[in-house]
Amino acid sequence: MKNLKLKFLIFVIFYTLYAIRYTLFAFAQDANKLVALSKQIIEAKSNDEANPIFKELTELYIKENKYNDFVDFLGSLAKQKNTLEAAVNYYIAYSRYLQLKYLEEVQNWDEYFSQGNNYRDQITASLQKAIDSTTAKDALHINSRLLLWQFHKGQQDVFSEQALSDLLNSVLEYSKEAKEVKPIKEAADKLLVYGEKGKSKELYKIYVSKIVTSDIKDVELNTIALGSYNEGNLDLAEEIYDVYIERIQKSLAKEKLTPLLIDIAKLFYYNDERPSDALYAEKIFKKIEEVGTKEAFDEELIYLRAFNLEKAKEYPKAKDIYLDLVQRYPQTPHRGEADFKEGIIYTYILRDIKTGKSYFEKLALSANLEPVEESAQKETPSPQVISSLYQLGLLSQWEGDLVKAKEYYDKLVEEAKDGFAETVTKALERLKEIQEAKPLEYNLKTFLDVSLKDEYTTLDTSKLDLRARPYKTKRDAEVSINSTPYIAQSGCLQVELQYLWSGHLGKVLPSSDAPSLNTTYMYPGTKEINLVVVSPTGVIDRNIDLVDVY
Amino acid sequence: MKKFYFGLIIFFVFLTITGAAPKPKVHIKKLKNGHYQLMVENKPYIVKGVCYNPIPIGSNHEYDWWSDQNKPWIADGKLMQEMGVNTIRLYQCHENTEEVKQVIRDFYELYGIRSILGHWVGFWEYPCPFYGDKDFQGKIKKEILEMVNLYKDEPGVLFWTLGNENNYSFSGRVNAWSTDEIDKDPDPQKRIFMRAKIYYSFINDLAKEIKKIDPNHPVALGNGELVGLDIANQFSPDIDIVASIIYRGKTFGNIFKSIKATFDKPVVLSEFGADSYDAYKNLEDQNMQAFFLESQWRQIYENLANNPEGAGNCLGGTLFEWTDEWWKHNEYDPQGWKVHDIESNWSNGSYYFDIKAKGNKNMNEEWFGIVALSEELENGINKRIPRKSFYVIREFWKNPQLKAQGTRHKAQDKK
Repeated sequence: MKNLKLKFLIFVIFYTLYAIRYTLFAFAQDANKLVALSKQIIEAKSNDEANPIFKELTELYIKENKYNDFVDFLGSLAKQKNTLEAAVNYYIAYSRYLQLKYLEEVQNWDEYFSQGNNYRDQITASLQKAIDSTTAKDALHINSRLLLWQFHKGQQDVFSEQALSDLLNSVLEYSKEAKEVKPIKEAADKLLVYGEKGKSKELYKIYVSKIVTSDIKDVELNTIALGSYNEGNLDLAEEIYDVYIERIQKSLAKEKLTPLLIDIAKLFYYNDERPSDALYAEKIFKKIEEVGTKEAFDEELIYLRAFNLEKAKEYPKAKDIYLDLVQRYPQTPHRGEADFKEGIIYTYILRDIKTGKSYFEKLALSANLEPVEESAQKETPSPQVISSLYQLGLLSQWEGDLVKAKEYYDKLVEEAKDGFAETVTKALERLKEIQEAKPLEYNLKTFLDVSLKDEYTTLDTSKLDLRARPYKTKRDAEVSINSTPYIAQSGCLQVELQYLWSGHLGKVLPSSDAPSLNTTYMYPGTKEINLVVVSPTGVIDRNIDLVDVY
Repeated sequence: MKKFYFGLIIFFVFLTITGAAPKPKVHIKKLKNGHYQLMVENKPYIVKGVCYNPIPIGSNHEYDWWSDQNKPWIADGKLMQEMGVNTIRLYQCHENTEEVKQVIRDFYELYGIRSILGHWVGFWEYPCPFYGDKDFQGKIKKEILEMVNLYKDEPGVLFWTLGNENNYSFSGRVNAWSTDEIDKDPDPQKRIFMRAKIYYSFINDLAKEIKKIDPNHPVALGNGELVGLDIANQFSPDIDIVASIIYRGKTFGNIFKSIKATFDKPVVLSEFGADSYDAYKNLEDQNMQAFFLESQWRQIYENLANNPEGAGNCLGGTLFEWTDEWWKHNEYDPQGWKVHDIESNWSNGSYYFDIKAKGNKNMNEEWFGIVALSEELENGINKRIPRKSFYVIREFWKNPQLKAQGTRHKAQDKK
């Protein structure tokens, strides 16, 4: 045992010595690198040549959080070579800017508050010098303007607007002659990060126009656009794709153009798994329509378009496309889903109960519209048939036609056999209400009232956002459903809201104070999630969302 | 003879001047431009305050900090003085009057910090505050007048505050109370009015009684938001100050102008602030708290007297709050009092950085302190760790930069 302890002690000593040696070695390595980089900067013939070396130097100092040392070093550098003045000033400002962020991050409030204003003075003074000693043709000029704007934006001071305007003017000026487009993109990226979406779009446009005026090929443009999409910068990707499409529209025949447009639309259409912009996807779908003929839309593409519109909450247009799908491809496997969604959109979004019911009836009567290859299981109705029977029962019950309602519910139970337990349970609950002469369950009745009665037509779902994620899911996989009601601010007076959930909510039974829920579904089908939000002064709004379970 | 008459005139003038009633020690001065100033010993006084309730880690609101042998207010007062705090707000005095006097005196004599003394006006009485009941009113009145009698001569007292958010009971949603007459009326709006009338009339009665025994300190009406102030305007004319509790995030909106229009009294923001926990990112965010608090103080200063850009009716504020309180998430769970809970209790969209938190619940009641508590003890009390807001407000008070004047440098960078 004693021997073991001794061995352990020796190991610890050796390890410690090794660690110290390594640290010293790393330090010495960094020191050597610093000397080498300093030499390179002194020897650099222009600011452009010095700039990457400055960047490397900055990284070396910043990774050790040696901001003051870096500023001292820069000061001494300026004395040795005054042609570097602009770059030195920019990097002094940049270093102080990062230093303030670092002090905040580590909560070193003493230095932050005792030195903060000195550093801020240094930032503005150094940047002004850098701006004054460069012209709009220099990338450093743009970088300095950008940092100055970031600084003032962070300070929320009165100089912020002027700094932004100066930045935009400088970029415009720069773009006239500059060949290097990176500073333009960097400025646009920063504007986007800081929430200046409109301005960033302007700069992206300039950036894209610069790329286009160069000798870039269509295929390269496509690659850059795709790269931007993959980086998550959808704004830029869309700008580049717009130019790309404009180009290929002129050069490519319809047959070659259409597949490329389809690829782009498929990139942006609503998808649970990756970034999407449903409205941009629809813009491309429209372009495909304009360019080609309707044949370009095969069964799957029509479905994607309809689904995309549905998730963009563009319901009136979505229903048209679902209808188109069913008319052109009556045997589509999406037929049940499309018809059921038509019924839901007509009934609960457009308040057209008669047309809505016609879709549910069509489905209920069809008994089974599963594709031919599944005909072996024809005795099992599709989930949408069961859901339609439930909807028909529900609407009849709400309208007071209890005999009809009972018929639908009974048929549902009979058709479902041992399956669709979620919907069957609901139908049985409704049958019990009818049998006991009780009113419809409160939340459900409230939803039907505000969705269908004329007196509530002002409630158009605009004051209540309701979103599920994912929208396409497997059985027993978790689905998260969130709501956001838009109400006037009331300070600390907490308005207690009631969340009246109804519809197919899966395994959970949310309480009336729950604005969100996580659930799972046991059976496939299109699940309707209903919500009415009520404040003490009345109903705020209602909404419905649809989740497809496979 | 002429000299005699002249001397006589001088004598009477002297008598008139010296015989004029002295101004109360603390009073409200209405300026010619309609603005208000709080005057303390004839000097303008801006309330730079904090709500003070130093509950240590592991205890709940029942903890008697007034008799804590380690005297937490000594360490707190020193820190407050460093920061520039000149006022604390105490929600309700403890029953041991000597201990209360000691706290008030220590704050005032050691650090020059004055105390606003409050009373809940029976809001937390079980089963509910029967404001319509004369016996209940009598009981509360007795308690309040006793408090005034006990502490009115303490040099450290600034003014009295009656109630806090008691007006929220008018709608019946919190601490609901009623009377037979109110219950008979089917109109809910009228029922609210009837409750407000009873409550504000009672407050006015209290204010008048207080002034009879203590003309030296103003009386403030504690009120949640501006709810009911139009009714207070009719039934509480003897109130000197509106002490509003406002949680509106970055800005107080138009409350100063609204109060001027509905109930023209000077305003002290008796509770406002921001928590320092980002419920969306699930981490402490001192920047977020400092960002809101600096903005709130700027608005307070913009609405002080003599700023032509503001309403001129603000006297200052007492931010919520000095230290975190670890018991608040679940006041009935002693184990929870030892844990700095991160589960949010309520939602407020005005605090927008973390409003996307689950269920939009973004307000973390245990994280409102501008001074954090450490489990480590220092001189027998939880070590105090000032948050960024502490420094931001300190810098702001040293050199208040108002938006209207433009800001060369602010004490912090935006979150």
